[in-house]
Amino acid sequence: MKKGNILLVDDDEIYLYLVKKILSKISERIAISSFTDGEQAINFITNQTEVHQEVPEVILLDVNMPFLDGWGFLVEFKKLKPKLEKSIRIYLVTSSALPSDKQKAKEFQELTGYFVKPITEDNLKNILTEVYETNF
Amino acid sequence: MWKKVLKIFAILYFPILLLTFVLIFYQKEEQLSGLVQVEERGAAYKKNYLLDLYTSLVFSTQYWSEIDYPVAFDPMRDHSGFIDSYIEIINGFQDYDQFRFLDLKGKEFFRYQREDDKNMVFGPLQNKENRSYVQSGLALKRGEIFLSAIDLNRENGVLETPYKPVVRGVAPIFNTLNEKIGIVVINYRMSRILNQLKAQITNGNFYLTDANFNIITSNTRPYDLGYEIQKSGKALLENYSLTHLPLKKAIDTNFVDQGSVYTFKVFDFKKDFISKEGIFSTIPIIITPTDWVIVQEISPEFLGTWFLPLYKDFLIFNFFAVIVLLILSYYIIKSRQQQEQFYVALEAKNKALLGSKAQLEKNNYQIQDINKSLSIKNDQLKEFNYLVSHNLRSPVTSLSVIIDMLKEEKEPDKIKALLPKMATVSNSIYELTEDIRAYMAILDQNEIKVEFLNVSKLIALVKNEFSDLMLGEQNLKVLVDFKEWEAVSFSKLYLKSILQNFISNAIKYRDTEKSESYVLFEGKIENGSKVLYVRDNGVGINLERHGANVFKLYKRFHRNISGKGVGLFLVKSQLEALNAQISVDSKEGLGTSFKINF
Repeated sequence: MKKGNILLVDDDEIYLYLVKKILSKISERIAISSFTDGEQAINFITNQTEVHQEVPEVILLDVNMPFLDGWGFLVEFKKLKPKLEKSIRIYLVTSSALPSDKQKAKEFQELTGYFVKPITEDNLKNILTEVYETNF
Repeated sequence: MWKKVLKIFAILYFPILLLTFVLIFYQKEEQLSGLVQVEERGAAYKKNYLLDLYTSLVFSTQYWSEIDYPVAFDPMRDHSGFIDSYIEIINGFQDYDQFRFLDLKGKEFFRYQREDDKNMVFGPLQNKENRSYVQSGLALKRGEIFLSAIDLNRENGVLETPYKPVVRGVAPIFNTLNEKIGIVVINYRMSRILNQLKAQITNGNFYLTDANFNIITSNTRPYDLGYEIQKSGKALLENYSLTHLPLKKAIDTNFVDQGSVYTFKVFDFKKDFISKEGIFSTIPIIITPTDWVIVQEISPEFLGTWFLPLYKDFLIFNFFAVIVLLILSYYIIKSRQQQEQFYVALEAKNKALLGSKAQLEKNNYQIQDINKSLSIKNDQLKEFNYLVSHNLRSPVTSLSVIIDMLKEEKEPDKIKALLPKMATVSNSIYELTEDIRAYMAILDQNEIKVEFLNVSKLIALVKNEFSDLMLGEQNLKVLVDFKEWEAVSFSKLYLKSILQNFISNAIKYRDTEKSESYVLFEGKIENGSKVLYVRDNGVGINLERHGANVFKLYKRFHRNISGKGVGLFLVKSQLEALNAQISVDSKEGLGTSFKINF
């Protein structure tokens, strides 16, 4: 089985810890990296693309973050997308169930999915199955 | 009101009054000229009547002159038979009062006279040589006739009573030898004639006067020839003369004097007699001492009665005109007043409308204000909603996940490892609730104490709290420019906190690569309201990326600078709590400019 590469972008350290814990429990073959804000994440992806290094296949993106929030990340990502060598699936993971956020999410074609926290083990399993076409 | 009514009435009535005066004047003139014509006709009629009478006198007198009397005519004795046949004729003349023959010396030799107004009898002979009519008569030639002036008869030099107005007709008489033997004198009784003249055929008074305007007879006087009675020494109440009238000479004329209208017609017997030519076989030459004047007078009393209907019509017309015009004037003024009242009411309504318009505008402004503050409140609520749904829900969900994991975990070491994470979550929840509490304090503040604050003084005060700044260790200048306005109504607590945040941010985000950093507080007036600009030459913000989040909670834009992302969020909340608004303009590397609209 192919090795997975997932990027977590969230300013909530606990969330990051928990998700990493769940993911590692699901599969040990998944490489997990994380950033606590959108700015670092977009800078990372830009750099990786420039040096033709590997970029993650999946991004779990938080909305509410300092420096550059989820929406800001998506705007920057849109600019970056033509330069990407492979497609990246982005899942928005938000703590709010606000209809306005859901509506706004639909405007971004770059988004593959939308989850409301807490993201469960089953959710993560489904995402991985969808991406890697393998049952976890 | 009544003064105005009378004024309108006067304006309307005056021309009508004038018109009626003109009309009545012309109608009077017309009626008067009609009356005068009637009087003239009456006078002409009387003149003709008089002429006829006089003609008959002339004829009657001439008759006796044309008889051939016997030589040595002695009617009383020798020729009594001759005269007897004539006595019958004399008796036939009603107007004969005396019939006398006088010899050439003026002595009567025959006298046949009426006795007591009845039959005629022979009377005692008198010598009349001194009487003027006798002298005039004796001078007459054949064919000449003398008619005396009218006077009262005298017997033996004394006025006969009852007074007897007479005219004497005198003519010469001749015998068969054509010798003049004397004169015939006939006293004509004039009473009947005068009474007939006096009989009114017109509306006026009648006077017959001589050429000197002595009244011979008049229907207004009790006596004929009153002036003669007065001359004889007897006092009469009436004036028997028309000399008071403004007429010097007897002529045919009409005139008005003292309200009376007079018509004068001169009776010139000699002249007028010629027109009677033809009725005589031989035309006598008539000698008469005086002309007569026929005077018709329309008295003021008569005129008054005559014009009474005219005056009555005038009065009735004017009476109704006055009533109608008074009513009309009253209604004109009334309607005018109603109109004025209507205008006043209209003006009042207009004023009231303007007043309510002003009130509406005021309400409108208030509604706009309320709307603005409601819209701000709405934004704040959204903000709060966002805060709760993101920031609060996030740690709570984390907590629930941890708890789920704890439930499943059986290894004591792993459980131990999870516990500190719970403490972290709990801490962050505590911090969050503290921040929300501060925010709620601002949102919940219903009555914020507002004062008139001198902003530059407050800045100086706040500046002192930054000891670093005071000591000059930080390279930041705080500049102020409040030329356009100095003070603003705001909460002192809030404004102080806001200024603190700005100065603190200016220090934190100053551009250390620049030799001199500053923050400038500048008071401006824009569109009539106070504006505060806070400009610095700090590091600036990338608004393209962060524009939407500048004033949001827990948003930070500079990785290397410490901060919680609370300051500008509170600044915005505090400003909005008092209906002020804030916006931002910035360029990375150049600086940031905040604009506050109070």
